[in-house]
Parts: sequence; C-alpha cells; structure tokens
Amino acid sequence: MNDTLEKFNSLKSGQLEALDRAAGWSLNAAELAEVQRQFRRIGRRPTRGELETIAQTWSEHCKHKTFSGPVAYRAGRRVKKYKNLFKETIVKATKTLNRSWCLSVFKDNAGIVEFGKGGKWGLAFKAETHNHPCAVEPYGGAETGVGGVIRDILGVGLGAKPVLNTDTFCFGRLDRKYRLPKNALGPERIMRGVVEGVRDYGNRIGIPTAAGGIYFDDGYLLNPLVYVGCAGLIPADKIEKKVVPGDLIVSIGGRTGRDGIHGATFSSTNIDEETTSSAVQIGHAVNEKKTLDVLMRARDLGLYNAVTDCGAGGFSSAIGELGSETGAHVRLEKALLKDTRIEPWEIWVSESQERMILSVPKGKLKKLAAILDAENCEYCVLGEFPGDGRLLVTHGDEKVVDLPMAFLHGGVPNFEKPAVKRVVKVSARPPAPPEDPGKALEALLAHPNVCSRHSVITQYDHEVQGGTVGKPLQGRYGDGPGDAAVIWPQAATLDLRDYAGFAVGHGFAPAVGRIDPYQMALHSIDEAVRNLLCAGADVSRVAILDNFCAASPRDPRVMGDLVQAAEGCLAAALAYGAPFISGKDSFYNQSKDADGKEYPIPLSLLISATAPVEDVRRALTINFKEAGNPVYVAGVARRGMGGSVYNELSDTANNAVARLDMKAAVKLYAAVAGAMRAGCVAAAHDVSQGGLAVTLAEMAFSGGLGAELDLVPAAREKGLTVTELLFGEGPARLVLEIAKDRETEFLKYVSGLPVAEIGYVKEEPELSVSYGGGQLFSACIGRLKACWKKELI
Amino acid sequence: MIIEIRTKEKYAKNEKEGFIARMAHAGLKVKAARLSRLYRVEADFSRPEFDRLGADLLTDPITETYSLSRPRPGLKGWRVEVWLKDSVTDVVGESVKGAIADVLGKEPRIVRFGRAYYVACESELKLKRAVAKTLVNETVNKFGTEKI
Repeated sequence: MNDTLEKFNSLKSGQLEALDRAAGWSLNAAELAEVQRQFRRIGRRPTRGELETIAQTWSEHCKHKTFSGPVAYRAGRRVKKYKNLFKETIVKATKTLNRSWCLSVFKDNAGIVEFGKGGKWGLAFKAETHNHPCAVEPYGGAETGVGGVIRDILGVGLGAKPVLNTDTFCFGRLDRKYRLPKNALGPERIMRGVVEGVRDYGNRIGIPTAAGGIYFDDGYLLNPLVYVGCAGLIPADKIEKKVVPGDLIVSIGGRTGRDGIHGATFSSTNIDEETTSSAVQIGHAVNEKKTLDVLMRARDLGLYNAVTDCGAGGFSSAIGELGSETGAHVRLEKALLKDTRIEPWEIWVSESQERMILSVPKGKLKKLAAILDAENCEYCVLGEFPGDGRLLVTHGDEKVVDLPMAFLHGGVPNFEKPAVKRVVKVSARPPAPPEDPGKALEALLAHPNVCSRHSVITQYDHEVQGGTVGKPLQGRYGDGPGDAAVIWPQAATLDLRDYAGFAVGHGFAPAVGRIDPYQMALHSIDEAVRNLLCAGADVSRVAILDNFCAASPRDPRVMGDLVQAAEGCLAAALAYGAPFISGKDSFYNQSKDADGKEYPIPLSLLISATAPVEDVRRALTINFKEAGNPVYVAGVARRGMGGSVYNELSDTANNAVARLDMKAAVKLYAAVAGAMRAGCVAAAHDVSQGGLAVTLAEMAFSGGLGAELDLVPAAREKGLTVTELLFGEGPARLVLEIAKDRETEFLKYVSGLPVAEIGYVKEEPELSVSYGGGQLFSACIGRLKACWKKELI
Repeated sequence: MIIEIRTKEKYAKNEKEGFIARMAHAGLKVKAARLSRLYRVEADFSRPEFDRLGADLLTDPITETYSLSRPRPGLKGWRVEVWLKDSVTDVVGESVKGAIADVLGKEPRIVRFGRAYYVACESELKLKRAVAKTLVNETVNKFGTEKI
C-alpha cells in the first residue's frame, strides 16, 4: 500500500477506489477526487495518517452526509429540492418552536433542557446506535455502545452526571427457522449477546437501565439495531465550554490499542462477507467509572476549559473537534498504549474505549493530576491547542498529519441524492371479525412484540442510584409493563427535599413505516408523548431525540422513505410543541449473503422523549388500583389495521394506516394532563401494540383486578368495525382508571372531548368485554398473564 | 496456573438447566452438565498464594468452590473450554489482574478469563456444532473440546 500512497496524486479514479477498498476508508469517488485535488494544490502527497483522518472526519458516521446533504425528492410528478434535509426538517422544528427551556441543542454531544425549578440544573439526553458492531460481536458491540453514549453525556458541556440508561433493540424473529449466510449470527445469539453487553456495562458502571423496548421483525435478521441512550444532570453554569489557546491536550481513562480501528468508516458501509473483527471495540466499564468520578470532581473545581469523548475516530475525531478553531499540536509518542506494535496513524484513529480529552490550562494540570492519581485513572498530556488553526500530529520526528482544520471540516464534497416516493397498494376493506376474540387476545399477548420483557429487564440493575420511581416492571406484583421510566435524580442533585424528576418514553413504529413513512413519524412521536403522559409527566414540555436507521441511501426509495419520515417529524414536533434536541442517524443497515442477496432493514425511527415530572411522588403507573373505579377510553379509534400486530397473526387484507389527528391529540392530552395533576387519575396506559384489548388486559393483570367493560360508548370514526376497535393500533388513545370519588371533577376536565366511560374495575379476576348486548370475551386475568409472560431468552 | 471456580452442586440447578435449554435450542440433547469459570493467571506465585486468590478473591465461599487442578467432572462426556482470543482485550482478566495486585501486593504478568462446560451428550461433533452456534463467536473466541 505504501507504494500506492507514494503515487497518490497521480492515481486514476479506479486506482483510488482500489486503494480506498484496501485501506477500508469508505470514501466515495467524488470524495477521493477532492482529496487528490487538495493535495495536488498543496504540492505534496498525503501521509497515511492524513488520509485516515480525512476518511474518518468525512465518514457518514461523523459527518452525516446523507441526512445533512441536498436531496431531490420525487412524488409522482412533483419534485421537491432540499439543500440540507436535516436542517430543513428536524432543526427547523426546533428553531421554529424556539423554546426558552432548551439550553443547548444540536451543537454538543447531547441536547440539554432545563431541569427542575430555579434554573440550577440542565438535563442532558442523547441516544445512539451501535448496529454494525453488534452484528459482528453482539456482546462487545453492545457494551461499547452503552459506554459510548455514556461518554457523550460525560462530554456534553463540561460534563453531566449520568442518571439513566435506555436501550431499544430490533432483532430477527426468534421463533422462526432461518437459513443464515455463513458469516451471520442467529437472532437469538445476537439478542443474548446484546442483552448481556448492555447488562454488564450498565450494571458495572452503576447507572440504572430502566427504559427501552425490543422489537422483532424478519427485516432485522442480519442487521440488528441497538439503540442505546443516556440521560444525565449538569449544573446550568457548566454547559458552555471553550478551548483556550495554550491549553494542554490531556487524555484520561483507557489506553490506546489496535482495537476498533476503522469503526467510523465501518459504520458507513454495508456489512458483507469480508467484515472482520478489526472494527469491534472492547468495553471496560470500570475504567469508564474511574473517568466519570474524575470528571465530576475536576468539573466542579474548574480544572479544565473543555471536554469531549473519544468516540468514532478516536483522538482524530475528539482532538479535531475540540481544536476545530484553535488548531492542535499532538505528540503521539506521549500516548499511553496497550500494545507497542502499533503504527502512529493507528494511535491517531484507534477507537479504544473509555478515553476522554480535556482542554486543561497549564496552571491547573497539577491539581487535575492529583485527582486522577487518587481515582487510579491513567492520563497523558498529548500536546496543546496552539491557536494557529492548524492540525499538526507528530510521532517523534515523523509528521503524521499536517492539515488546516478548515479543509478537514469544510472540505467534504456533497452531492444531490435522488429520492422517490414508493407506491404502496393500500386496502381499507373492513377486516373480518375473529372467530373467538378471547383466543385472538391470548395470541396477541403471546406475540413476541407484545409479550413480557421480564427475562431481559430483570438482568438490568434499574434501581442503582436509588432514583427509579417509574419502573420498567410495574403493578401489584412488580411484573406488569411500564409505559415510561420516571427518574428522581437525587444522586446528582443531592437534594432530598426536591421531588422534581423527569420521565423518558419511546415511540417506534417500523411496521407502519413499511406502508406510510410519514405516518410512522407521526405515530412514533405521538406514542412517545402518550407514554410520558401515562407516567404523569408534563407533556407541554416534551423534548425529543430522533434516531433514524435505514438501509443503503443509494437506493432512491430508501431516501424517499427518509424524506417522508423527516417531514413527518417536522409536522409532529410543531404540532406537539416538542423540539428535537439531539439525534443521530445510521445508514447502510443492509447485508449481503454469500449468494449476493441483499437484506435491507425497514426504515426505523426511534423517538426518545423526555418531559419533567413536577413531583415524582405523583407519578402514575399502568395497573388498575381499586375495585369500583370507573374505566374510561380517551381518544378516537380510527379505521385501519395497517402495521398492527393483529395483521401479522391474521391477515385482514386491510393495510390502511390509521391517520393521526395531531391537533385533537394535543387538546386531549392537555385536558387529561390537567386531570392527572388534580389527582383524578389512578392509572393510565396507552393503546399501542395489540390494540385496546391488550391495553385493558395489561392494566387488569398488572393490578390483579378484573374489569367489566362495554365498548359501545368508546369514541370512534364512522364505519369502524369491532375488530378495529379491539385490535387496531390507531394512535392518540389511552385508557384511564379514574378515582371514583373524583369522577365528577375528571369529567369537567375532559368536557367536550372524546372521552367515554366503558365500565369499571372489579375485584373478581376476570376481564369481561362486551359490545352492546353481546359479550366479546371474558377471560381469567391469570390466564391472560400466563400467555403474556413468556421467557424471551 | 488455571483457577477453576464452580457453583456448589446444591446451588447449580438453574445454571445447568439454562445451559441444557440453550444447547437444546441449538439441536443438542444434553443429559447432564456442569459449568465453571476459569482464570488463567500467569505469575511466579507460590501454591499458597494461588490458594489465597482462589479462596479469598475469586470465590463466593457460600455458593462456590475453587480448584487449582481439574475438578472431578462428575459425569462422562466432554469438557469444553472457551476463551477470548489472545489478541482480544479481556476486561474481566484486566480487572482481576488489578485485584490480584491489590490482594498479594504483586502483579501477575497476564490474567485471562474463560469458561468450562462439562457436557454429557451423544457426540463430540454435535457438541462442537452446538457450541459454535451458541457459546462461541469465532470472531473473538477460541474453544477446544476434550474427552473426560
């Protein structure tokens, strides 16, 4: 390769592409040509270190070229042009809403919103994906995914203290037999490894893993999705950071090794037969805990001016980012190494875990070193930020990189991507009723996308730090599903008299996206907001994260889906008044087997949402609480079985997606939130996967109480069938149990809204649901719970 | 020196059943099984020092026992050893290395963590297939089987 590098400036395009493949950079032809043009202009050939730096800085993983690039979207004859899809949708929503409680958005490692009263604290929130590494080595991939997102929280502002981890996974179905390509791991194997990785990292570092979900679909067979999130608290006066020329570059935490070379560029390609373990990193939670402890102490003593994490791209990315204005002079021979058999350029781009970069004033190094020594945390001084705007990386006398920052961060060429709207045949014919609705409910409860996740949840420590108020498993016996985690972050505020907390919930609807990506985004945001509402959070102050995962954006249909979903995000964020504060995208989730057959994932948008809970003692749970309490359904049931679990079990030939009326939903949620604040609501649960029947069953068996219900009064669209009412997954609906002595007050709050009483909670452990004169089903809640409580692994 | 840690027989039911179920899922009928944790400690320590590590550092004395030599398998079949490849960072091994230095006041050269499975089943070939399918990711692991 060295010979080819010598002749870099005179290579032909085919030779450049061959070099790119050999080096594993994942640069495209236009980018390679631009690099060559720049070095011809400078009048010298690039070093390996420079090309590696450019490859990682310009990678999809770091630059998000697809989402932030120009797109030409065609829907029939109509063509809409975007200069920057991300800015014109996601960022536009946040800018338009211009919420005063958004303290830092889209400029740091995580978004930050105001937390609690008095403006003393900020809540940092971030979610990431670690899909490609988990496909190759699920345990290590998941561990380092968790470690990475925790470091994002440690590296936001001057450092936030993590108080919650979240995890959402997508796997191939476990209950099906597949013939896998020879280099692929089976879905059970992947799931087990991922769960163990998340468990071991989160538990060992002492952060509760208390929110998330698991979704099964054949589309994720070869490309599992592993979304990991973290929330942390930061003092409001520690949000701004600025590198000062003359500051030292100090690396703290883990040592640098050859693990994880090319992680950033690996994330920017499809996985194929050639994929090896070189891109897999190994996590070390104890090292990260030491780093966390050092940072919290040093932050409060003001011992550094800026901090960021070493993520994809390692030193190259972290130091490049911190020194983007000041420049940086790095001496790689100073780095602490795991392995001495490592090339200088490898030290520069290695993605070894648990490393943070600090910008430290020279006069404060001694004090910082004392804390590092006390915490047994290794560190090294790699160089300084000189203020000349130049990136100079050396190893002894060898010059590894010598480039202007402006070229690195501004030089990436971007080109217009074509996008087309897919044509999906939609049938809205009325679905046939099931022979036995009771049996249909049992089958739905046992479906992998509905059934209990206890075998996964109970592996995680969701109680560490002592602030998990809204738990992932709820109810009388602590084994029912929770809608959202409610966290009381007293471990960070150290104020036991302040009961302010926050809730975190999710929305995810890829099955809807297969039919209508725009509605998928709407449904996902609505579901996330509804989950927060059901936990008793203040939904007038929701902040959201977007995490898009898609197949190859080179396919115009994939880009078309992305455009529609992004437009849906814009519309829903504006309607719900919920700004995006951070997000991430992951493309090329597409695999080829030995025969060359492609396995693309469906467009998958995870919405993670957070909202304040004014007093965590008044947070709500989903289980029925008391016999005699009335049960209400809030929201209008809309026609369409598209994307429902019921459709998977019994093809209704109806794939129409229920439309979301966002205006009506916002009005309804505001009224219900008022009733919740007034203490009228005893339990709340959203209608989501499996439909209304599953929601009622979960509330009943979680509470150990039955219910006598008649669905006739439930609000619905004209022409809606009983099947759609029971098993449809139309958005903006929830079931409420009202305290019987507060019913009159409750009705005042929801006056004029589609909220209807459908029955009452009863002591007998039986869920009886009828429609007018006819009983639809009557089932023992113990039997329903037994169907639901499957062991996933 | 390899220090092998086992759950005492009377507490081992769950881990055995879990293992047998996983093997069954991979198409292998297992009649009986025992599981161990392995710590390969490369150091010039005396036998009493290794004993101290086994007894005081690596074992929960209520539920586990340790052994510096191969424990009696208690069944007829195969022993499977699974380790991370030497080129793969072993964070458990690294942590134990640090802990050993704290306990003995001197650091071993290398500590690696692995697992052993004692399996009574119908054939070694089927066992190897099931292990490769469930317990090992050949990207990062190496394993071997041995008749017992």
